[in-house]
Amino acid sequence: MIFQLLRQWLFAPIVHYRLFHNFVRQDFTGQFAGSFGGMVWLFITPIVNILIYSFVFSVVFRAPMPVEYGNTPFVVFMMMGYLPWFAFGDAMGRASTLLLEKAPLITKVMFPVQIIPGVGTVVPYMVHGIALSLFLVYLSTQGYFTLMWFWLPVIFGFQFLFTMGLVAILSALCVFLRDVQHIVTLTLTSWFFLTPIVYPKSLIPVEYQPWLLLNPMHNFVDSYRELILLGNFPMTSFLIIVPVSLFTYCFGGWVFMRIRHAFGDVL
Amino acid sequence: MHSIALENVNKDFRIYDRPQDRLLELLLRKQRHKNFHVLQDISFSVLEGRSLGIIGDNGAGKSTLMKLLVGTLQPSSGSIAIKGKVAALLELGAGFHPEFTGRRNIYLNAALLGVADDNIAELEQRIIEFSELGDFIDRPVKTYSSGMYVRLAFSIATMVDPDVLVIDEALSVGDIAFQKKCVERMNEFRQQNKTMIFCSHSMYHVQELCDTAIWLEKGRIREIGESHKVVGHYEDYCNSKSTDPHEVPDINVVEDRKIKDCKVFYSMVRNLDGEEIDEVEPLSDIILESKIEILQDGLVCNFGFAIMRTLDEIQSAYLTTDLTDVPKGPFKKGDIIMARIRVNAISMRVGEFYVIGGVADSSGLLWYETKLSKLIKIKSTKGVGSVVMRVNWDIECP
Repeated sequence: MIFQLLRQWLFAPIVHYRLFHNFVRQDFTGQFAGSFGGMVWLFITPIVNILIYSFVFSVVFRAPMPVEYGNTPFVVFMMMGYLPWFAFGDAMGRASTLLLEKAPLITKVMFPVQIIPGVGTVVPYMVHGIALSLFLVYLSTQGYFTLMWFWLPVIFGFQFLFTMGLVAILSALCVFLRDVQHIVTLTLTSWFFLTPIVYPKSLIPVEYQPWLLLNPMHNFVDSYRELILLGNFPMTSFLIIVPVSLFTYCFGGWVFMRIRHAFGDVL
Repeated sequence: MHSIALENVNKDFRIYDRPQDRLLELLLRKQRHKNFHVLQDISFSVLEGRSLGIIGDNGAGKSTLMKLLVGTLQPSSGSIAIKGKVAALLELGAGFHPEFTGRRNIYLNAALLGVADDNIAELEQRIIEFSELGDFIDRPVKTYSSGMYVRLAFSIATMVDPDVLVIDEALSVGDIAFQKKCVERMNEFRQQNKTMIFCSHSMYHVQELCDTAIWLEKGRIREIGESHKVVGHYEDYCNSKSTDPHEVPDINVVEDRKIKDCKVFYSMVRNLDGEEIDEVEPLSDIILESKIEILQDGLVCNFGFAIMRTLDEIQSAYLTTDLTDVPKGPFKKGDIIMARIRVNAISMRVGEFYVIGGVADSSGLLWYETKLSKLIKIKSTKGVGSVVMRVNWDIECP
């Protein structure tokens, strides 16, 4: 039973490739249809946010430079954490309305619903993946490039699976409990500030620092920084990331598949 | 071969006191609900290539049954077996994205129905042609009229070549010409030995398009059988419901009129012997009669009768406007007029009807007053179809 559910979940986007592809295309272009700025907004939002955070943290609060990363400019340091987080936060933020928006479809048309969390996750990841790649191109011209960079897609992939698992749970729960939306918003804000993204880890008192290992997002962000800025392989983070991501992905899928049949009754 | 088979299907909607109870129950498998039976003990099967109509009052469970057939709802108990690819039109354009053009929506919708992308390109032109959307196909769907919406949705669902087509009230929108096309397309479907399930309030379409019909009442099958029979019984039932004493007077109590030119006392049906009747035999001759009092001097007016299938659906109307040899006034105040019309060989075969008799102004457009007769029943005779005609056979042997 469990294995059957998992099998239907794990490879859903591949098995139903065409449908997945069509949904993604619809979702991706649907965000800009009817708007004048189109895709430009995708880049303006993170840029503005990054400028705000840089100003507040490095100019107003005068956060000490992230010494552990050498003489990396603060903005570069921050973007390395902020861009991956933004992909995660964006996907999570949309998760709560993901199935609700598709209610007419889910109740009236028979199709593999399990591809929906994938669609909801892949779109933000594509968007921010593009932003991240552009930024990496810039960094490589600044002499940051090392062969270690080839690990980046791997880490990004695990982060994707981790996100997709959470999105599956959240979107499914939201069908039953609309309160989840508000909880998600609050949690995301707290999570963002509890993760050393806009400030260096060294600012956290030493006795609290080990706790950060329990925060998967910190492990992701830390991995990117280690790989890109220092060219080190983040062994500790990697050993945490892999099982956590795989578990979340499978567990999320299990929850989703288990309550999927009730969607039609509730939506 | 059965293409669809349902066995003892029940569907309960679970009613929960609190929304979170549903979730807890799913995860922990401990009962926390009360049951509401939407469908009970539904069993039927449809042979390959046959079509089935589902009729019934609102809330009888038609839509739930359709959703079960399509698979978006799971039965609470019982089994549903369907052979082949199912395409459904439960809600027209359920998968449409309003911001996208019709063309783009064709792709997503066809993908939802399980067509491979390369085949869609092939189908695209046929879909566009059938839908008659023309240049609109490249405009966002949100700019479409509801008729265009339906046309596109219907075209996609039928062009993807499903084995089973499930349609819910699709034909009620769209103009007559397109409705005709849809009916033709659905008939083609039947000829190709495809199975069709059709749910509608249009009894005419159900009779036309379906071999068998199911009449659902309060979640149970009240009758299943040849569609024209089931439809006939259902219509009788509907008519008897609307003759409920609380409803009929409504149409006669139209007191709020400013023009007080005349008064209609009654409308009734008589046989040729002049006796009032409430039952007629098909092909017999009858007389419709109204008694009218003129309330104003010098009134010039027209008289009219209509045979009503239901309270607002005319079966046939007999207006005097174009008849020259009928006196139309001017009448004097206080005149009592008996207006009669003889209907020869009444051609309705089944069902019941009302007669409306009334007075209109000299142009025949503004009705001063009308009165409704009581419900007249048609004595059923052997035969099929809703109309019976006076015919003569002639068979020549070479």
